[in-house]
Amino acid sequence: MLISNDSSFARNVGGVLVESGVEIQHKLKGFSPAQKFPQAEFSPYHNTTYEWNPIGSGIMWKSYNFPVFLLSESSTSTLQEIAMKNEKTERAYTTNVAEFDVVMQTTKVGTHDSESCLKEETCLPLGGYSRKKMSFANRSDVYSYGDITILLRGGMLRGGSVWSALPPIDRLSSNQSKPIILAVASMDAQSFFRDKSLGADSPISGMISLLAAVDALSHVDGLDDLNRQLVFLVFTGEAWGYLGSRRFLLELDQQSDAVHGLKSTLMHLVMEIGSTGRGLNQGNKTFFAHTEVSSASNETLDALKLAQESLKSDGVTISTANSSNPGVPPSSMMAFLRKNSSTSGIVLEDFDTIFANKFYHSHLDDSANINSSAIVAAASLVARTLYVLASDNKNLTSSALSAINVNASLVEELISCMLDCNPGLSCELVKSYISTTNTCPNHYVGVVLGEPSSTPHPNQVDDISRFVWNFLADRTSTPKGDTSVCSQDCGKKGGVCIRAETDGKGVCVISTTRYVPAYSTRLKFDSGTWQLLPPNSSDPMGMLDPVWTESNWNTIGLRVYTVQDAAYDRLVLLGGITVTVLAYLAILLTRAYITKALKQD
Amino acid sequence: MTVAAGIGYALVALGPSLALFVSVISKKPFLILTLLSSTLVWLISLIILSGIWRAFLPLNSATWWPFAILLFTSVAFQEGLRLLFWKVYKRLEDIMDAFADRVSKPRLYLTDKMQIALAGGLGHGVAHAVFFCLSLLTPAFGPATYFVDRCSQIPFFLVSAIIALAFVMVHTFSMVIAFNSYAEGNKVDQLFVPVVHLAAGMMTLINFASGGCIVGIPLLYLMAILTLMHCGRMVSRRLTENHRQGSS
Repeated sequence: MLISNDSSFARNVGGVLVESGVEIQHKLKGFSPAQKFPQAEFSPYHNTTYEWNPIGSGIMWKSYNFPVFLLSESSTSTLQEIAMKNEKTERAYTTNVAEFDVVMQTTKVGTHDSESCLKEETCLPLGGYSRKKMSFANRSDVYSYGDITILLRGGMLRGGSVWSALPPIDRLSSNQSKPIILAVASMDAQSFFRDKSLGADSPISGMISLLAAVDALSHVDGLDDLNRQLVFLVFTGEAWGYLGSRRFLLELDQQSDAVHGLKSTLMHLVMEIGSTGRGLNQGNKTFFAHTEVSSASNETLDALKLAQESLKSDGVTISTANSSNPGVPPSSMMAFLRKNSSTSGIVLEDFDTIFANKFYHSHLDDSANINSSAIVAAASLVARTLYVLASDNKNLTSSALSAINVNASLVEELISCMLDCNPGLSCELVKSYISTTNTCPNHYVGVVLGEPSSTPHPNQVDDISRFVWNFLADRTSTPKGDTSVCSQDCGKKGGVCIRAETDGKGVCVISTTRYVPAYSTRLKFDSGTWQLLPPNSSDPMGMLDPVWTESNWNTIGLRVYTVQDAAYDRLVLLGGITVTVLAYLAILLTRAYITKALKQD
Repeated sequence: MTVAAGIGYALVALGPSLALFVSVISKKPFLILTLLSSTLVWLISLIILSGIWRAFLPLNSATWWPFAILLFTSVAFQEGLRLLFWKVYKRLEDIMDAFADRVSKPRLYLTDKMQIALAGGLGHGVAHAVFFCLSLLTPAFGPATYFVDRCSQIPFFLVSAIIALAFVMVHTFSMVIAFNSYAEGNKVDQLFVPVVHLAAGMMTLINFASGGCIVGIPLLYLMAILTLMHCGRMVSRRLTENHRQGSS
């Protein structure tokens, strides 16, 4: 903030090093580099000045001419020492300096927006499948250049969204017209620092609640006989222009392979699970149902009330959000509503009028910012509500409802796998489904490598998406269906191959679980390159999409070392020359003396 | 530190050698050969020593006495090689004198012999400076500088350049003294050279102490100047003796 207001100060800033440490987190009451109304341009209502995130400073969305590094805790203490040494050094002719080694190929080549950089292939669109770093940029000189953590203007992010049906949709059955109840969450987070985007409260707590709810519902018998079909959907890329939801809706219209079995006409209602981790208030777990004023979501609210009744002993309450809110908070629901304003849907959140998350979209939104019992409570609420909605009030008994229980230890495990470095992605739960070399989880959406498809190769999909896919496929699979070693005809039987990475072969289970590519609706992958499509009035959200991309980059580093004054260097050179010249003169004198001495006489 | 400082350090260590080379040695091809061969001999001696000492590495840098033993053995070995170098030179000298007689040209003058000794010594000195200073100097051409904890007032590169210069002086003039003393059979001077070499080596151990370089380096220069002065005295004595002999 200081830098954007004071340009003479800004000129003297070569770079910024951000400290990290547990004490720092405790001192801060809140920090959010996001805007006060994140992604306001996509809202289905006109009041875009409403401040959902009043703490938001918006610094993440400005461009800077210098790099900003987040230091690890050990580096922080090292650099604090060096800074102190600089203050009290006795040697006047030396200082300690920091040198940044960041080369962004787009800046180097001069392609400053997404369209040109995609054409020149100096950047890639944001999106899920790959989370590997690219090493395309050639490192020439070391120079400080801006925008290391702030992505260049215009961007395309995409990822691998996952959807799964419970119970599995029988392709062969003629009865394919059950109305669909869609339960939605997102799995990507955002922060000022690309490599530390945990998003514990927003949105991972919601995703964990959804996964735990799926686990609870998977133990219920008789889901086949219910009137409606449950479908769970985990989007990615939502933080960068609702890429996952927009792309999903587009694919639904186009009836592509990725969404086979779903039809937009069958969508009965949508329930989105936003942030749930901060719902604990003095022992009570309170949540709020946000809904668009015009949509008819009384049915969902009634179902929620029923679920709340059954959870009364656990102190769980759900209320409708304040009517002075302009509408739904920033959420995937905005994409659904923009597409079809009569969509019946609610967004479940842990806040009412403003975000309860004081670290929204910052690197400090980690597991210390959430409470696992709130997540468990939200999961119970969601599971029971979904059961009520799916059964459509047919033979609904309170005993059936009370039989749906969320496994609290599963929630704890998911938190420690998804939001901590220890055990992180090397935890047992994750290791039983996928194999990965990363331990520290990161929920930045990443970039698209290669052509998007509904059956991507595992090394094109990031760890979290693969885990979610495997987990959902496992939980929604018919328990009595025969499970066998994966083979070619697994797909033909209506099954999918899970745990394929852990033992190389995998297990074939009957489940309807698919990836949906998630990237901007303004982009098309054509003969090896990405092309930016012109804005189309039939895609109003696409017209507002900034189309984010990430520049190619090589290894990024930071060096700190001691430097001498230039005057000292020149003095040394002078000294060397003097010594040489004096020695030469001395030799000449000696030689003259010797010849003279020899000639004497 | 930049290129300017890097060149400065290199000149401090090797500038006088360069001056000597240009003014004296480059004029006579035989001296250049002597210089190169003595450099080679010195480097080979280092290789052999490091081969033997490899078995005892790494040395515990907290104590100084393993380094003292290392220095003692190295100096002893190199002095032994110096004797060998002298013997080879003597053989060569006889051959050259015989050849000169055959073609009726004058034999080697005393000044020639001293210049050969000087070239030999310079070869040793340059090898030392290149090996122990120049090889470490590459980072000095970059942007940073470096200070050692135990000698924190002066950059590390400057310290090593100054020490290298002192050793260049010691090696160069020691060879003159040594050759002269072997030729004359002067036992005292024959002992002078190894003792001074060893003493100079041991002086560097003082740098181990914190702030020791403030004491160690001046002492080292004391050794170097001692060598220089002794050499000067010996040379002027021999020249005047020779002159008197020649003219009488």
